[in-house]
Amino acid sequence: MRTGLGAQVAALAGLLLLWEAGVRGFGVSSSVMPTATAVFLDMWANPVLIWNCIVRTLTETVLGFAIGAAIGFAFGSAFAVSRALERLLFPLFVLSQAIPVIAFGALVVMWLGNGIWSKVAIATYLTAFPVTVNTCRGMQAVDAQRLALLRSFGAGEWTLFWRLRVPFALPSIAAALKLGISLGLIGAIVGEWFGDTVGLGIMLLQAMYNENLPRLWALILVCGAIGIAIYALFEAIERRWIFWKQEI
Amino acid sequence: MREHAYSVAGPLGVFALWEIIVQAFGVPAYVLPAPSAIALKVIADAALLADGLVLTLMEAVVGYALGSAVALVLAIAFVLAPRLERVGLPALVALNSVPVVAFAPVALLWFGSGPMSKIALVTLAVGFAVFVNAHQGLRSVDEAAANLLRSFGAGPLRQMALLRLPAALPSIMNGLRVAVVRSMIIAIVAEMLAAFKGLGATIFESTQQIDFLRAWAAIAVASLASMVWYGIVNWIDRRFVFWR
Repeated sequence: MRTGLGAQVAALAGLLLLWEAGVRGFGVSSSVMPTATAVFLDMWANPVLIWNCIVRTLTETVLGFAIGAAIGFAFGSAFAVSRALERLLFPLFVLSQAIPVIAFGALVVMWLGNGIWSKVAIATYLTAFPVTVNTCRGMQAVDAQRLALLRSFGAGEWTLFWRLRVPFALPSIAAALKLGISLGLIGAIVGEWFGDTVGLGIMLLQAMYNENLPRLWALILVCGAIGIAIYALFEAIERRWIFWKQEI
Repeated sequence: MREHAYSVAGPLGVFALWEIIVQAFGVPAYVLPAPSAIALKVIADAALLADGLVLTLMEAVVGYALGSAVALVLAIAFVLAPRLERVGLPALVALNSVPVVAFAPVALLWFGSGPMSKIALVTLAVGFAVFVNAHQGLRSVDEAAANLLRSFGAGPLRQMALLRLPAALPSIMNGLRVAVVRSMIIAIVAEMLAAFKGLGATIFESTQQIDFLRAWAAIAVASLASMVWYGIVNWIDRRFVFWR
């Protein structure tokens, strides 16, 4: 789903206006839906609190994403190079995705403690799978003739890997990375539900228990803003460095 | 046949390794119970777990059906009416950038702790997954084929029925497949936050009571259920969408 940035900003402004007008016009109770202005006032009044939560949750997301992406790349490459390994272990990866990992949240917290690492672990788990699949599929799609050609010039497996397989698979890996980081964000948010004191996830819960709707919506908006920012960043990286998408 | 042997050997090996490690090192059950202990617990708690499973599955399946239906209608409407798309798509993209779980507290406040809030959340999560795939599939149709149909006098609706929908089906099925696991996860997550019954509620209560074996049993049942469901969607895909 790609749309222009201008259209998105316009749509966002339109949504906010619609929200404000709808709540005021229909006289919706503030216990059901706060006005947009009330939400922004809440953000404005608590900048430090919200900033600390953003930093914490983003740290968990990025750490989990980085580890998950590295694991995914390693396993994906191994599967692409070794057919036996793929057939033996790949079903496990698929199986692992059918498990509602978040159900393990409480257990992960017990294993790794209440700090940042339990959230990082959940984000890692969620990131690793799409990266594994796309790395493997991308590398397997390498044209056999190109492999044969490079081999005939005396290229070793290592050269083939870095010079042909990796560049070839990069567009597909990039797509998985985009999906992975948004899954990582979800993992970090939900991971905080199982016990923590800072972070967007735990603040969401506290706002729910206190029925503090302006805060709740402020946090939802912040989550959305993070989602958009991350996505835009990855799109920019992709356009700048993985420019050969169309050629292969 | 050998292909099957491999894909069974991997998971079996891991379960065996898990069992051996737990038995050999005497890992306590609250850290990691053995697979055999979990299996026995599933049998012992069968009635309770089945009760929870029925509710959780109901929430997930109803939300799945609602979400897929809304997503398909929206995607078709967007392709048929470009003007609607210009307004609606950016709004959807903005909404989609919020992780669905962030809406969980709002859903619980609005729809209460019963099944309604879970169905609403699953609908949202499934809707996005199916919409993205359906929209992409409907749009990336061979232009030459579309032009050919048009030259024979086929209107937008006939083009949709004869060309776009069949061409988009593999992509739609992909969305439906991804959405299976997502719907189970969202239903369970929402139940863990607040619910009267369901597998998520069972998992939450058992961890509170430090009955980790029961939590593992509930997780095992939930995983098994989503695997079976995933298998069914996969089978339908291979059986009926043969032209991929």
